[in-house]
Amino acid sequence: MTSPKTAKRLNRLLAMLPWVIANPGSTVDEVCERFGYTSSELAADLNLVFVCGLPGYGPGDLMVAYIDEDEVVVELADYFASPIRLTPPEALSLLAAGMALLSTGQAPAALTGAVDKLQKAILGGDDENLVVDLAEPPLVAELRAAARTATVVEIVYTALASGKTTTRQVEPWIVFAAIGNWYLRAFCRSAGAERVFRVDRIQTLDSKDEHFEPPLEKASTEIGYVPNEEDVRAVIRLRQEARWVAAYYPVEVVADTTAGLDVRFSASDASVIARLLIRLGVSAELMEGEEVATRAAELRSAILGRYQVGGRS
Amino acid sequence: MHWGWGLGSNVVVMHKVIERILNLLAFLLTAGRPVTADEIRTTVGGYDQSTDEAFHRMFERDKDLLRRLGIPLELAPTDGWQVEHGYVVDPEAYALPDPGLTDEERAALWLAAEVVRIGGVAAVPEALFKLGGAPASASGEPMAASLTEGSEDLGEAFRAIAERRHLQLTYRERRRRVAPFGLVHRRGHWYLVGQDDGVVKVFRMDRAGQVSVGDKPGAFERPAEFRASEFIPETPWEAGGEDLTATVKVDKDMAWWARRQIGTRGTIVEDADGGIEAELPVANPEAFIGWLLSFDDKAELIGPPELRRRLIDRVAEGT
Repeated sequence: MTSPKTAKRLNRLLAMLPWVIANPGSTVDEVCERFGYTSSELAADLNLVFVCGLPGYGPGDLMVAYIDEDEVVVELADYFASPIRLTPPEALSLLAAGMALLSTGQAPAALTGAVDKLQKAILGGDDENLVVDLAEPPLVAELRAAARTATVVEIVYTALASGKTTTRQVEPWIVFAAIGNWYLRAFCRSAGAERVFRVDRIQTLDSKDEHFEPPLEKASTEIGYVPNEEDVRAVIRLRQEARWVAAYYPVEVVADTTAGLDVRFSASDASVIARLLIRLGVSAELMEGEEVATRAAELRSAILGRYQVGGRS
Repeated sequence: MHWGWGLGSNVVVMHKVIERILNLLAFLLTAGRPVTADEIRTTVGGYDQSTDEAFHRMFERDKDLLRRLGIPLELAPTDGWQVEHGYVVDPEAYALPDPGLTDEERAALWLAAEVVRIGGVAAVPEALFKLGGAPASASGEPMAASLTEGSEDLGEAFRAIAERRHLQLTYRERRRRVAPFGLVHRRGHWYLVGQDDGVVKVFRMDRAGQVSVGDKPGAFERPAEFRASEFIPETPWEAGGEDLTATVKVDKDMAWWARRQIGTRGTIVEDADGGIEAELPVANPEAFIGWLLSFDDKAELIGPPELRRRLIDRVAEGT
């Protein structure tokens, strides 16, 4: 197989030629800026074009391509006057990116027209065949603005795991959508460490009259769970109908027998595992983990208490 | 080969490939008829290999490269007797119809491609170059979005939708032939909406296997004014086979979160104590119970009675 580098270079070359042909008089700077070339890369590509053309390969058969003072000149290359049609993955990724940004309500105004034109050109008609919906929760716009201006904000946050509500001062770095939710990565002054918050669990937000030094590198948008020494651990036996849990959560398989699939969970708070256990009912059984057992019993009794059946007296 | 001096040998190889491809493509785009591999070998600059085997190896690689660039390279008979076949690149199929983007619109697409990733991979600048390129925005943009894993299958499904070709796929252990109508990304998943056995169904793309696209374009008609998003509910508990209306109470300290989670089809009434009472459609009771349990004891399922019973039994099961 030919190297991906060669494919990339050819792709750019075959996109640059039509542009120059359609826009005679384009300068080196314009072409470089538009196609991400350095001037020496552009000169190298034009040199290649200059030795290619139609059979015969004499003067008149070869394309003409050179830099005249500051101007890019391409002649005798009319068969390359049009760019190559987009491949389906290219078309999909551009359209999906455009639609995703539009759905956040945070897009520049010109994006609406761009997506509209692309959609008509690629999919045709007025049907709605492709939909990308990032369902933006409240506060994304505010968080984005705070991150952009490096403004400290105070948030009232209800943790997903413990259900506890706290007020914290944070330095918002980046707001991002992943696996169906929006997240905020920030330096939490209250915790004295970097934290990830789920945006829909931020109840209120208050911008402070204070700025912070943003991180030098673009903040990560990964949200993988990082196990911690102090995390709660438990082993749960999953029956057939609950085996999906092993694919859905980051667990370690301990044993796979006819009795079920035994998996080891770890979580920052016992409530996370206890809630899952309750939800799974008879299709799961707690094998190990006293803290989780205690928490599950508390939760069960609190919930049943609310329904006034068999709860605490 | 004096021009090769001072360049690394990889660069020399790359230059040779690019020259050969440009010559081949120029020839194919202007030939106006199918040309055989033999003719290409003797006519096009760069194919002066000594052995048949060396030529065929190189030509196979070049064809593969053309196709990867999105160039429609087809085989067609060279005459009416169909004895011999040759290669064709139809200039019309090659050319991107100009969507007429302005520079401002290109810049907006560039920003979108930078902010939104599919399966961790940025939308390709290659696609933007084809549309006329754009200055890279010096983006310190503190926003990002990652759409779930794209995979090759997704691109294939999209092609089938755009060209109205059938799609074969394995789903829930059954091989199916689907007329694909649309693709929707919602709640972190890609869904395919299409007709299977005369019924419009929804398939989660990450659960579809062995996806392959049919040969015939324009193989079916889409229903008039088709709207793919109508088939993908806003909330997980609206996706299912049942048809219930549930009433729930949520306490004051979690009411704000419930409001954000209840879709547009739910109705919300505020209680005197600051909590809410909501009525919402439930098609998937399991998903609904799972959601309610995330409130711990700060929410209560009022009705219907059989659903309330089901939740209570579930919680009591482990005691």
